Amino acid sequence: MITDRLARALDDRLRLSPLTRRALAKIFPDHWSFMLGELALYSFVALLLTGVYLTFFFDASNGDRVYRGDYAPLDGATTSAAYASTVRLSWDVRAGLLIRQTHHWAALVFVAAIVLHLARIFFTGAFRKPRELNWLIGVTMLTLALANGFTGYSLPDDLLSGVGLRILTSVVESIPLVGAWLAALALGGEFPSDAMIPRMFVAHVLLVPAVLVALISLHLGILVRQKHSQFPGPGRTEHNVVGSRLWPSYALRSLALFAWVLAVLFALGGLVQINPVWLYGPFEPAEATSPAQPDWYVAWGDGALRLFPPWEFRIAGHLVPGPLFPGVVLGGVTFLALYAWPFAERLRAKDRSAHHLLDRPRDHPVRLGVGVGALTFYAVLTVAAGDDIIARLVRVPVYDLLSLFRVLVLVLPLLAGLLAFLVARALRRGDAAGIGELTRADLRRAAHRSIRPPGADSGESETPARDRSGERIEMWPEGDLWRWRYRDADRHLVITGSRAVLSEEEAASAARVAYPGVDRVVVPGPPPAPPPGPVRAALRGWGRAAAAGSLLLAALLNRRRDRRRQERERAEPAAPPETADKASTGGGRT
Amino acid sequence: MRRPRPARVRPDLHPRRALALGAVLVLAAGPVALAPARSAADSAAPAAAAPPAGDRGTQLYLEHCASCHGERGQGAQRGPSLIGVGPASVDFQVSTGRMPVSREVQQAPRRDPVFSAADISALVDHVSSFGGGGPKVPQVAPGNPGSGREIFAANCAPCHGATGAGAALTDGWVAPPLYDSTAVQVAEAVRVGPGLMPVFPNQVLDDRQLDDLAAYVQRLRDERLDRGGNPLGRLGPLAEGLVAWLAALGLLVAAARWLGRRAAE
Repeated sequence: MITDRLARALDDRLRLSPLTRRALAKIFPDHWSFMLGELALYSFVALLLTGVYLTFFFDASNGDRVYRGDYAPLDGATTSAAYASTVRLSWDVRAGLLIRQTHHWAALVFVAAIVLHLARIFFTGAFRKPRELNWLIGVTMLTLALANGFTGYSLPDDLLSGVGLRILTSVVESIPLVGAWLAALALGGEFPSDAMIPRMFVAHVLLVPAVLVALISLHLGILVRQKHSQFPGPGRTEHNVVGSRLWPSYALRSLALFAWVLAVLFALGGLVQINPVWLYGPFEPAEATSPAQPDWYVAWGDGALRLFPPWEFRIAGHLVPGPLFPGVVLGGVTFLALYAWPFAERLRAKDRSAHHLLDRPRDHPVRLGVGVGALTFYAVLTVAAGDDIIARLVRVPVYDLLSLFRVLVLVLPLLAGLLAFLVARALRRGDAAGIGELTRADLRRAAHRSIRPPGADSGESETPARDRSGERIEMWPEGDLWRWRYRDADRHLVITGSRAVLSEEEAASAARVAYPGVDRVVVPGPPPAPPPGPVRAALRGWGRAAAAGSLLLAALLNRRRDRRRQERERAEPAAPPETADKASTGGGRT
Repeated sequence: MRRPRPARVRPDLHPRRALALGAVLVLAAGPVALAPARSAADSAAPAAAAPPAGDRGTQLYLEHCASCHGERGQGAQRGPSLIGVGPASVDFQVSTGRMPVSREVQQAPRRDPVFSAADISALVDHVSSFGGGGPKVPQVAPGNPGSGREIFAANCAPCHGATGAGAALTDGWVAPPLYDSTAVQVAEAVRVGPGLMPVFPNQVLDDRQLDDLAAYVQRLRDERLDRGGNPLGRLGPLAEGLVAWLAALGLLVAAARWLGRRAAE
């Protein structure tokens, strides 16, 4: 009632209903892989929620502060205010540790979900025209997520993150000519500077999140403005979207995913310890801890620093230090390649048309091979960042492992990429449905170059040109309007057009755009609704029974009341007719 | 919600720990009784002061140690000399189960001790009878974990890790985890410097500081310090990243698949 009136009042003033109606009717595809981006979105929401709580207690300052609290080994110790307040958050603030750990887990899952989402977009070719802009925004958000993850990891000013910050500062300083200036500019002086924590704090809670929120809005705005991409399939073309509407089905599903994300993150935050800064101790420039790793999403940089040989040389008297190549050049090349990929692929394929139907990963063996190779490369680097942990656990000398990883990082990506390429080609050429069904003959055929069976490059055509015996378009009048639906009898598939139109011709043309070459027939009346599921049927049955019961009850009560009134009237026959009328109306109101 | 301040009690007195504790007590009492006698005897005639061959310590030494370290601890091809290593070293190596070893290894791993506490003290006595002095088994008093934490961060964390979980060193050596060490073993290691570990004599860390350090290391193995839940072996961010990928993201992707499959029905 109230929401209805509120909505009406808002609509009167802002004219929201056309917009809302269009937004609520937006169709989202049902495939699960389209929800990976939402995982990142909801992790970000969890980050915002928990992060706000943390700012209430975190003291972003390098100044001295005496910790007094439950953690005995640090009780009475003078540390930086940032560290002391983090330990206080973890030991003395109610729910502080839960929120802090959930925040950290959410950060790890946030970046992981972004990487998965990126892989999905990449392997299905969803970055192609007209979605290059959203790809660029997405890659930018990945870099911002990495930056914010690193500043957040460094903010507690503990020994472990201090070592990481020292390494990053050295990497920046390794840039010839400008490196030392850049580092001093960012930190406001030499490395353990007093401005370090406040500046990182502002970047972490204000600058980067604000930019991220703006970019997420833009990302989603473009997604709504453009039609959603979808996988090819029966009834799916470049011009339609098959799936669920935003309201009610997709919104509910998305909210369910949000609940899942919160549940998993808070469960981890409560059950699994992350970044125990009280054990690490406060950062002192003269101290170190070992093994020291960054969070997983920057570990590939750490791994590259460990694996790269210590090459240094001079150009015109200027030293080019060792960390430049694995630290600066590799990171730069990585993100440049990510930014440039859609344009490079378009140039190479000379393909300027728009694509709304996605590739299956196998449709593009080169892309698959390059992607798998790159992912393997970064995975090996990430594992190499943990070489000292692995060395202790398996009791192998750490330098032997280092040599092994130096070989693996070059060989393994090539092998994995080649294998992915061959499997994709074999799947595309043969008739195996999945990797499990591939035969050796398929693979052997894939290794050869020029055999191209007809229909091998059918991924680009609008609809699969198979026989369409069981397919038809049904159109029917509904009041003044016409509706239509697509039906595939063989696959038991029925897709109803989302918009009603004014005439039969309009319905026919809409159906022709969506399903070219499918026969159209006019059917009498609306087709029967699909049989309800057991739960819905039971609910409906109970609803009917309850309605009937309440009607019966109301009728009984009414009869009883009437009988009583008649008895009363009989008992007071002298009463004037006006009062009797009044009594009856009064009785009716109660 | 102030938790009661955890007192310095060992949570579970495992039989083996009880054994080690017994060894500590015996050792703590032993040198006091022996000290005046030994200072009187001096090192002029250590061989003369050696107990007879029927002694338990001698018997154990001849059975388990002499084949590598020599009959009089003079050392051989397969084992170093034991003259002058000191009682602390012998007690550390034997009570942590690192000695005796059945074959030559670069760094013997920690095991359950082979001998009983009484046997260990007999062995210690026998080896110290070879002469040469060396650090005594330290007597550890209760210390202040707060100042112990600072000593640990400055001197121990670079190799054993700030969490005490241990780390790899060069050349296949390992700085082991500290969670099984008793206070006396920690103090012995500090004074003796086994393996690649540097020696911290009295001039570097005095006995007060050693007590504080041992108190902090005992504190470090306390499970109550893992206040946030499962510590994942205190291995740091990469183990956490693995959990984030496998547990969290695995579950969430499964949830998304489930939701997507339900929608397609």
